[in-house]
Amino acid sequence: MPFHLTDEQELVRTSVREFADAEIAPLAATLDREHRPPLESIPKLADMGILGMTIPEQYGGSVSDYLSFIVALEEISRACASTGVMVEVHASLVSTSILHFGTEEQRQKYLPDMAAGKKIGAFCLTEPGAGSDAGALASTATKEDGHYVINGQKIFITNGSFAEVFIVMARTSDQPGTRGISAFLVDRGTPGMQIGEPEVKMGIRGSSTTPILFDQVRIPESALLGEEGHGFKIAMKGLDGGRTGIAAQALGIAQGAFDQARVYAMERVQFGQPIAKLQAIQWMIADMSVDLEAGRALVYQAADLEDRGQPFADAAAKAKLFCGPMATRVTHAAMQVFGGIGYTDAYPVERMYRDARITEIYEGTNEIQRLVIARSLLR
Amino acid sequence: MIGTVYVLVTGPGGTVSASQLVAGARSLGRPVTAVAVGAEDVAGDAALAGADRVWWFGDQSGRPPEAFAADAAKAVAAEPGLVLTGRAPADRAIAGAIAAAMTAPVVVCATAVEVGAGSSGLVTGPAAGGLVEQTVEYASPVVLVGPALAPAGAAAGGGGAASATEAEMPPGPLSEAHPYPVEQASLTPAGGQKANLGEAAVVVSAGRGFKAQEDLALALALAEAVGGELACSRPLAEGLGWMPKDRYVGISGNQIAPEVYIAIGISGQLQHLGGVRGAKTVVAVNSDASAPIMTAADLVLCGDLYNLIPAITAAVK
Amino acid sequence: MKIAVAYKWAADPSEASVSPDGQVDFSRAKPKISEYDAVAIAMGRALADAAGAELVGISAGGSAAATPLALKAALSRGLDSAVVVQSPDLESAGTFQTAQALAAAVRHLGDVTLVVCGDSSIDAGAQMVPAVLGGLLGWPALTDVGAAQLAAADNRLTAERSIAEGIQTLVATLPIVISAAAGALAAPAPGMKDILAAAKKPSQVLSPADLSLELAAAAPVTAQVKVSGPARRCVQIDTTDPATAAAELLAALAAAGTPIGGRS
Repeated sequence: MPFHLTDEQELVRTSVREFADAEIAPLAATLDREHRPPLESIPKLADMGILGMTIPEQYGGSVSDYLSFIVALEEISRACASTGVMVEVHASLVSTSILHFGTEEQRQKYLPDMAAGKKIGAFCLTEPGAGSDAGALASTATKEDGHYVINGQKIFITNGSFAEVFIVMARTSDQPGTRGISAFLVDRGTPGMQIGEPEVKMGIRGSSTTPILFDQVRIPESALLGEEGHGFKIAMKGLDGGRTGIAAQALGIAQGAFDQARVYAMERVQFGQPIAKLQAIQWMIADMSVDLEAGRALVYQAADLEDRGQPFADAAAKAKLFCGPMATRVTHAAMQVFGGIGYTDAYPVERMYRDARITEIYEGTNEIQRLVIARSLLR
Repeated sequence: MIGTVYVLVTGPGGTVSASQLVAGARSLGRPVTAVAVGAEDVAGDAALAGADRVWWFGDQSGRPPEAFAADAAKAVAAEPGLVLTGRAPADRAIAGAIAAAMTAPVVVCATAVEVGAGSSGLVTGPAAGGLVEQTVEYASPVVLVGPALAPAGAAAGGGGAASATEAEMPPGPLSEAHPYPVEQASLTPAGGQKANLGEAAVVVSAGRGFKAQEDLALALALAEAVGGELACSRPLAEGLGWMPKDRYVGISGNQIAPEVYIAIGISGQLQHLGGVRGAKTVVAVNSDASAPIMTAADLVLCGDLYNLIPAITAAVK
Repeated sequence: MKIAVAYKWAADPSEASVSPDGQVDFSRAKPKISEYDAVAIAMGRALADAAGAELVGISAGGSAAATPLALKAALSRGLDSAVVVQSPDLESAGTFQTAQALAAAVRHLGDVTLVVCGDSSIDAGAQMVPAVLGGLLGWPALTDVGAAQLAAADNRLTAERSIAEGIQTLVATLPIVISAAAGALAAPAPGMKDILAAAKKPSQVLSPADLSLELAAAAPVTAQVKVSGPARRCVQIDTTDPATAAAELLAALAAAGTPIGGRS
């Protein structure tokens, strides 16, 4: 259990915070207002090495350990949750899946460009009829003379409007349930891929969330990721690690809101004194800080287990189960500290409040996390 | 000259004038030796400022004052005493050389000095980034950089024993100059008027609340309407480069005490507020109700500067 | 050829707290490489790269300055190696002692002909160490340098800076100490590769005794009080209507005995 970060992990935190304060935070309000993704941040994130933090050096990455990546993700999300999820899906879901399950040829084709920010990744699992019940997905991938032809409708795809490489889960056999699902690597621009208009969402408005229609999309056999029938396993493995990533995003959002509220409380004067002197505010701040410490311990624990090669899926589920609602609680309390002005766009806390909510839902709802945890404890 | 206090003069630039330094030195009741470094007319300025004795280190070559740092330092160290200097780059470079030669501590922005018997003294000045004020007892002479010992605009008046014709290098081996190999290749005068913030009764100051450099015209219009000077917070001078560096107010920049200080779009960080502690009335115009300046001002206008400043300018006219 | 860059491992006083009786508590303020030192290191790096020189960081401080974290934080900014002069006496050293320690480090390194310093330290903000350092080494010092180029073959440095009189270009023969103006250039945050590489770069921690250095004694502090500005009235003026607010402001200023207007 990591009670202390290593020097390198501490430096990742101070360096990414410095970077995020200078390059990421100034865009956050604009992205939210204009509902657009931070494309201009991609080369900067690549230069910092952040997009390659889950990719080994031989493929152009700068991997040290997963905990370092989690710390970086936390700091990015503290500045801008939308930028955080863009990085998380790219580095935690897509590049890790290609690394673990791809052939050498596939790794060479995608990973260096992903580390360099030339290709951003997207993960296509969810469908209108398959959210929590991902195994019920209906997209098909039919084998036809050396190719697969994909048909189906995917929704809520993060980075959809600008990603270059898509991992797509589709059925390759009639086998019921999850065993008939395979995973594929599809390049942007493949004929038949129709990327729809981004959703208008409550929060993370700087994250592009699109539907994608696959209409007779023909891809070579070599685009199969892993083995036929292993697609669901690949998706779940990816989501196991992604869970910690989203928990880190939630933690970062909450930390950002807390930092704002703490400074405001010390400066806002009501009833002749800073409101930080009032017990009601002091209790809110104290409770928020405990929430953050508890969440941080769970997130770092999950990342540390993954780094040690130990089973971490349950720890990741616990981290996400705790941090999602925690981010909602903390951003809620932060807005209460701010009072009326916190409800306006004069401060970022209202955006953080809206951004936090999705962390209880995507990449596995609170309820799914509970199932995962319970299943491991009860037989 | 027994127990002389030295005043370093390097030119017209800088935030503390020769007259202020000499007035500050005079207030200690000791004879004043002006150490003029650089072009010859600097020595004349020093004499006019009212020093009792003037040493001049320089030549006609146009070398910058820094080239004569070692010469000036050697002369002062031969007869050690308290040294008062300004904070311009040349002042600091030579002050440092003097401190090194005298093995002397350096105190920046001292607010009070009590000279005791011999070379001892009590010096009061800011510490910990301006959070506290420390009084330190020194047993040997110190170098005071940018001391705030006399009110801005104070003239030493007459009473100095030196005349312009007496400026000369100290006698003996120290009279030979051995300048460092540093030369000025060019000097392109800056556009705009030189700042004289220390003497202005009203100072209008701009901060990061202004969204673009062109918008500073609003602050300038107000400054002109009130017959005051335009200043700014450090980020506008250094990071953004929207205003010349001699116009920023702060503990590492100009420290002023005008009658009225109007801070527009300035958040009021400690480093900035430390530059206007002596202002009589501080007016803050800011859209952020929780900015530190809102509790450090006498008159607070919480609102959009883009509406308020033109209105105030109109009302003044 | 070696270029030395002086940096300080210090905390920002705005994160510290002061008790009513004037005691400063830095426990919640974390030391770091300041943005000014980051600019100096970036300037040093560019000069070293152009001249094919080695860039060595030099620093003076207490035990915190010599920890692996502090060393790696500095090294990750682009230094090739670092030397730290460490002693309890340097824990809260003044300008002179800091310059003494840095001068000793420069002499110890041997073939240093250029020292680059930051504009000022984040905690003391005196802007005087480069000048005292130059004096102790017997080298000239040029502060507030906005841009610098090194003609290593001619042993010359060209420096451009903005001073009150205008934009000045100076040419100096090495050796010399310069300080980088606060906004001289952009110093990007260290990337992941730089952070990982830092642990592999060499560093030395030396005591004053190792350098045959006798630090000047610190003068005793006889009094220390919390600084609070004069109490300000904080009178709020309603800004709903700008014209009314302006009129109220002028009236309030006149009432306070500090009218504006009628002075131009």
